[in-house]
Amino acid sequence: MKVKVVTKILEANERIANENRRIFDNAGLYVINLMSGPGAGKTSVLEKTLTPPAGLRIGVIEGDIAGSDDAERIARCGAPVVQINTGGACHLDANMIYEVLGELPLQELDLLVIENVGNLVCPAEFNLGENLKVMVLSIAEGHDKPLKYPLMFQESSALILNKIDLAPYLDVDLEKIRRDASLLNPRLKIFEVSCRTGQGLPEWVAWLKEQILRHG
Amino acid sequence: MHELSIAQHIIEIISGQCRKSGYSRIESVNLRIGRASGIMSDALLFAFDAIKTESIAGGAVLHIEEVPVSGRCNECESDFIVQEDYILSCPHCGGSSFSMIAGREMDIIDMEVS
Repeated sequence: MKVKVVTKILEANERIANENRRIFDNAGLYVINLMSGPGAGKTSVLEKTLTPPAGLRIGVIEGDIAGSDDAERIARCGAPVVQINTGGACHLDANMIYEVLGELPLQELDLLVIENVGNLVCPAEFNLGENLKVMVLSIAEGHDKPLKYPLMFQESSALILNKIDLAPYLDVDLEKIRRDASLLNPRLKIFEVSCRTGQGLPEWVAWLKEQILRHG
Repeated sequence: MHELSIAQHIIEIISGQCRKSGYSRIESVNLRIGRASGIMSDALLFAFDAIKTESIAGGAVLHIEEVPVSGRCNECESDFIVQEDYILSCPHCGGSSFSMIAGREMDIIDMEVS
């Protein structure tokens, strides 16, 4: 007996992501899914987004395979934070987010940042219910990354090119990163940032506030 | 890279559908997987076989139809299929503005049950 199924394999994830989105909308909360490879500087960018305070009430969900180092760094910045340990899974999915939402004061926040597991591949596949996907690429990772990991560049609305202060010491071709990333995603907004010198951070924070304001 | 969790999703969906239809055994399942979906067919087959034993899909055989990546050029409006997993420029006019029209599929089409 043949039975028609005609179902997207990630349908269950999409359903829970939609439920998350409903919860976020009801709380008047703007949500960002922050993605990158390991060590690109997601947590550093977050720390610099939290301090000095930009007039935003920000909560954070930290996703890591193991450990709570990142959550401790965020807690030291004074932001409410929940750590998820995926225990080996290479990405966060919508249900992992759904299960920890009760641990954050959603009604009191303007912005929730979900820091995904460090991985340039899988996180881009799983919708979490976020308003926006943002990725970080440190320039030390090399100029070949957009063409090697195209999906994440295609799915993201903004690209933070971090560790830009290292440019004089590297052979990296920044123009190639900009060109290939824009080729993959003509709407991608690119920020050149250094968490050490502070370069580019005001522009990133201003853009972020603009997105939240526009969302209302 | 996450073929194991994809295999778990598949087993949950087909087991539920099989029971709902009033059958107790899944013989085979047909999938359509786009070449730009990030899923490797061999890894998915391996993962599915590894975890299917404990479900009513225990005897199920997975068939995967791979969907090539295709795009439509926004400049010369021609459709094209690419051999690589991703489109970087239109093979007809070289234009860099295009829309992907297929290749990201991850769908369960149908299954044989008894």
